[in-house]
Amino acid sequence: MTPALATAALTKRYGKVTALTDCTITVPEGRICALIGPNGAGKTTLLRLLAGLSQPTAGQVTVNGATPRQDPAFLADVGYLAQDIPLYRRLSAEDHIRAGAHLNPRWDAESVRERLTSLKIPLDRAVGKLSGGQRAQVALALILAKRPRLLLLDEPVAALDPLARRNFLRVLTDGVAVGGLTVVLSSHLVADLERVCDHLIMLASSHVQLCGDIDDLLTGHQVLTGPRKDTTAIERSHRVVQVTRTPRQTTLLVRLNGSGVPVIDPAFEASDVGLEELVLAYMSQQSLGQDARPALAHLTTVGEDQ
Amino acid sequence: MTWLVWRQHRVQFLAGAALLAAFAVLIVITGLQTASQYHSALVACTANHSCANLSSTLFLGSHAVGFLVIMTLGAPLLVGLFWGAPLVAAEAEAGTTQFAWMQSVTRRHWLVVKIGWMLLAAAVWGGVISALVTWWSGPDNAQQLDAFNPGRFDIMGLVPVAYSLFAVALGIAAGTLLRRVLPAMAVTLAGFIAVRAAVALWLRPHYMTAVTVFYKVTSGFTPPGSYWRLASGIVGPNGLAVDQNTNGAVLAGVPVTYLPASCAPASARGAFTVQPSCARALTQFHGFLTYQPAERYWAFQGIETGIFLVLAAALIAVTAAVLLRHDA
Repeated sequence: MTPALATAALTKRYGKVTALTDCTITVPEGRICALIGPNGAGKTTLLRLLAGLSQPTAGQVTVNGATPRQDPAFLADVGYLAQDIPLYRRLSAEDHIRAGAHLNPRWDAESVRERLTSLKIPLDRAVGKLSGGQRAQVALALILAKRPRLLLLDEPVAALDPLARRNFLRVLTDGVAVGGLTVVLSSHLVADLERVCDHLIMLASSHVQLCGDIDDLLTGHQVLTGPRKDTTAIERSHRVVQVTRTPRQTTLLVRLNGSGVPVIDPAFEASDVGLEELVLAYMSQQSLGQDARPALAHLTTVGEDQ
Repeated sequence: MTWLVWRQHRVQFLAGAALLAAFAVLIVITGLQTASQYHSALVACTANHSCANLSSTLFLGSHAVGFLVIMTLGAPLLVGLFWGAPLVAAEAEAGTTQFAWMQSVTRRHWLVVKIGWMLLAAAVWGGVISALVTWWSGPDNAQQLDAFNPGRFDIMGLVPVAYSLFAVALGIAAGTLLRRVLPAMAVTLAGFIAVRAAVALWLRPHYMTAVTVFYKVTSGFTPPGSYWRLASGIVGPNGLAVDQNTNGAVLAGVPVTYLPASCAPASARGAFTVQPSCARALTQFHGFLTYQPAERYWAFQGIETGIFLVLAAALIAVTAAVLLRHDA
């Protein structure tokens, strides 16, 4: 089966700033994929490249088996909702529904009207006069009415209240269950993502940190807790993502090597890792790697001088 | 796509149509009055053979409407500022290009339909205003013979259509490059005035080689019809131009200080008998007139229209290149 989307060595630079570096990912069809990363990691850049709204500096993008291009058939199969929810502020929801009917080959106008009516959102009021959450609901209903095969959502639930968030995510899972739909959504709300997503892409500082099936990623990592002692033996056989040391004990989050052999050190106790824990470990690793290292080097130099 | 363009811009289009309708009513009413006034004056002057000085005795129309007609020089700017500049810039500012470009419509299609309707509307705007002004100015042109003069040439015939298309194209291109409405409007305002002034002042006089005629100052010379005077003056016996900026007396256009004493004001006044020596001296002076003949009027209209259409096309090409090649 061809994946819903794949990128190879994808790089995007804006002048001197590199927004995405050497990104190689694959998302199979029928997945709900979480796109996670700290602010400025390159999430929006990746989504816009997938949508064909911007052109890669280097590397390839394949979406629904084709390179993103200006072609009605390609565009009909991709839905993208930007973070700032772009809608014509002076136009009503009904205007947007009718515009969509004129601009798309498949357009489920009734589903939008039903959805918005059930949410008590007025169809005839200019969307600029709606609340932020209502505007987001209008935009989400419109993007679903397009019936795309790939849905790219940039922080779609940020403006929604918890109940609306849960309802919207259920609409997504229902859509995927019916078949023919793949979703990529970025969000900072790991708990929400954990409930609906089965795939994960994690970006940090423009690099891909993790990409894969969430279950595989979770079984591929373990938390080791043991006495405060030398951990070089473990570091030799597995990649340590995060180390937390207290006076009495050491906690390691390790990525198991390919064969997935559990760590053999009787002094350490192994336990499974949760998604939030995993994500935070990779995020803090990134921020340490960038900020802490120069500071440590400086301290060492001072110590030697004395 | 047409539906969306209409829905998005109908307020702008309707406002433009309302302005146009109000202008048309004013022009048609005053134009009919002016025409009947002119015709009755013609009939009256034909009866008593005084039509030669009709232009100095008859005042046509009202000052207010005449001023409004001259103000149509700025009409293309209105559509450039309020239709052209926001076309892409307002969408870029609000991020709605990301809505439009993620429907199942290519950017090229979006651009063609949007710009196509806008250009058509601009052409109608310029064309209707020009037709009204040309019709309204008919008696005035016949009387003053000034249709070729700068300021009159620019508000009649074909050129207002080309100016409107250029103004809208400039607004669209500025909005596309700057992606902000207010800066795009500022650039459109400055750019339109600069290009129009540069073409009118430095290019237009040279579309065709001007005709220069030398004539005897005693007989004078006036080309037929609405010619465009570029330069004129008097050349003395030494081949140098005569300085006509003088407060003193003038004989046949020549200041008497250039002439012998026999041409002095005292002798020239009275029965207007020019002394033979003075008449001989005057034959040494020649008037010259550099001008564009009246029959070149439509050729000039065509050339100026062509220049602004080419400029408009170039601006649209820049817009298309930026929108189709660059990131959204």
